[in-house]
Amino acid sequence: MSEKNTFLSVKDLEVIYTSGKKTVKAVNGVSFNLEKGRTLGLVGETGAGKTTIAKSILRILPDPPAKLVGGKIYLEGKEINSLSEDEMRTIRGGKIAMIFQDPMTALNPLMTVGDQIVEVLLLHNKYSTQEAKNEAVKMLEMVGIPGERYIEYPHQFSGGMKQRVVIAMALTCNPVLLLADEPTTALDVTIQAQVLELINELKQKYSTSMILITHDLGVIAQTCDDVAVIYAGKIVEMGSKADIFLHPTHPYTQGLFASLPSMTDHADRLTPIPGMPPDPTRLPEGCAFHPRCKYATEKCKSGSVPAMELTPGHFCCCYNNTAKEVS
Amino acid sequence: MAGETLIEVKNLKKYFKVPTGMNHAVDDVSFTINRGETLGVVGESGCGKSTLGRTIIRLQDATDGQVLLHGEDVTTVTGKKLKQVREKMQIIFQDPYSSLNPRMRIESTVKEPLRLSGRFHSKAELQEETERLMNLVGIDKRLRASFPHELDGGRRQRVGIARALALNPEFVVCDEPVSALDVSIQAQVLNLLIDLQEQMGLAYMFVTHDLSVVRHISDHICVMYLGQLVEKAPTKEIFENHLHPYTAALLSAIPSTDIFKPMQRVRLNGEITSPINPKPGCRFAARCPYATEACSQPQELKEVGKDHFVACCRVKEIN
Repeated sequence: MSEKNTFLSVKDLEVIYTSGKKTVKAVNGVSFNLEKGRTLGLVGETGAGKTTIAKSILRILPDPPAKLVGGKIYLEGKEINSLSEDEMRTIRGGKIAMIFQDPMTALNPLMTVGDQIVEVLLLHNKYSTQEAKNEAVKMLEMVGIPGERYIEYPHQFSGGMKQRVVIAMALTCNPVLLLADEPTTALDVTIQAQVLELINELKQKYSTSMILITHDLGVIAQTCDDVAVIYAGKIVEMGSKADIFLHPTHPYTQGLFASLPSMTDHADRLTPIPGMPPDPTRLPEGCAFHPRCKYATEKCKSGSVPAMELTPGHFCCCYNNTAKEVS
Repeated sequence: MAGETLIEVKNLKKYFKVPTGMNHAVDDVSFTINRGETLGVVGESGCGKSTLGRTIIRLQDATDGQVLLHGEDVTTVTGKKLKQVREKMQIIFQDPYSSLNPRMRIESTVKEPLRLSGRFHSKAELQEETERLMNLVGIDKRLRASFPHELDGGRRQRVGIARALALNPEFVVCDEPVSALDVSIQAQVLNLLIDLQEQMGLAYMFVTHDLSVVRHISDHICVMYLGQLVEKAPTKEIFENHLHPYTAALLSAIPSTDIFKPMQRVRLNGEITSPINPKPGCRFAARCPYATEACSQPQELKEVGKDHFVACCRVKEIN
């Protein structure tokens, strides 16, 4: 498929972090496409590079230490990583918006929540201050916060409400692409359910495309259309939600599912993935997962493992690609 | 030995004075934990579950009520006696990043309680015991002289576990021990906790907001809301036959990994209200879809089935 026709296309993205003489390969050649109106879930453990991928799309990685060393990003057929900083500023918060993980630190403690939304509106639209204010009140009400709380400061809100303010800010300019970085991880389950419902509703209303980053497979199951599993900065398996949940193929994906405590049957012991995630300054040669993999052979220890298409749209980077059928 | 009552908590209260009044963090909580068993305590953040754990093991003094260890009240003991009690009751903290001293090598962290106990008379004995503990929780020999920042979260939590188990406690409060860890590591630590319980006959009070974890590890579950117990039952009963509307809402909010089962959420409006100067009556009433006039009266925890307690006056009508 040509990147010209796809809504969002990321090609061979490579990001490194440098610290002293050490180089950390955070993202090692990540490619994916996202169609209009669909949601892609990125799953993986801490340090796998999920947030780095999202931040490099929005180009908000701190440079240094981070550096985009390769790859191209196309949005609606236009390459956006060669845009000037000024052009990028008009896209950020306008066409592409991000919901950050921690609502406690994503808001400015010295500004009222209303003013923070107005700031976004004035930057991207030709509104008068009064129009922007009215719009901000509307946005707050849309996410279930009474309009009269416009003049309140972030510390006067609970965690769930702050996250709703962050969502209102992200959606206020009707972005075509929403990057949600663990939007509910800091919240309680009942509030998480409210926020996920809200995101789903708004996404449908505006047919926004979304990249949802999480390590919670339950959240993925309830909100995403497609899933990419990331390990050590690489997509090791990608496919539709049904592909990943019903036919997990990569040993790492299978391991992730096996290590979840089940809500339906009661096993005495969990089956964890042995070992630890690799040190990103010294990634193993070959498949980065091979030291923890029970199927690893000599072949896995050198060279990069190519992605193989198992069924249309279901890709897996593993020589041992027999899917585990889940009933 | 299992089945024998180890801990009995009776009408425990812990209030904090705040500028606007009294924060009823733990309000009239009672339960028992048997030797070798695990009691799971679940609830949203701010419901008082951590305070409950910390009050039981005397990290904070209770405002009122009793905690009986082997039938003996520990809420008022002091001095030498308190030190003895503390050897029997330990805690594993939530955050392995902040609960270890960053300037102590992990070996010294594990050794410290052993040294303070005065049970060991020679350096060699002390060293031997330290090594036994490190082996027990699976920390490699080569890592023993490391500082906490050199270890990942899972290993740090193992150090926290070794420290808690150093003096052979009988009762351990696990305060969200796996919530800061990734799923693959979380499973390793949960397995370790289960193995240690079997080997040492430990009783756990497992505080968490992760319901799939609590289901996996607990024998009984208490559901807390704003400082009070709203439901208490054996694990299976809680998941299959829960009666309190809050328990139902909490369970329905967990995103299922079954992609064919969309969430059938019991809609809860609003958020947990303030525990400062709460009104008498059901504290959940403001968010409860079934609330009526009767709910403004104080609710009592009543036994409705074998070992199954619920604090809801409308339990018969709504189920």
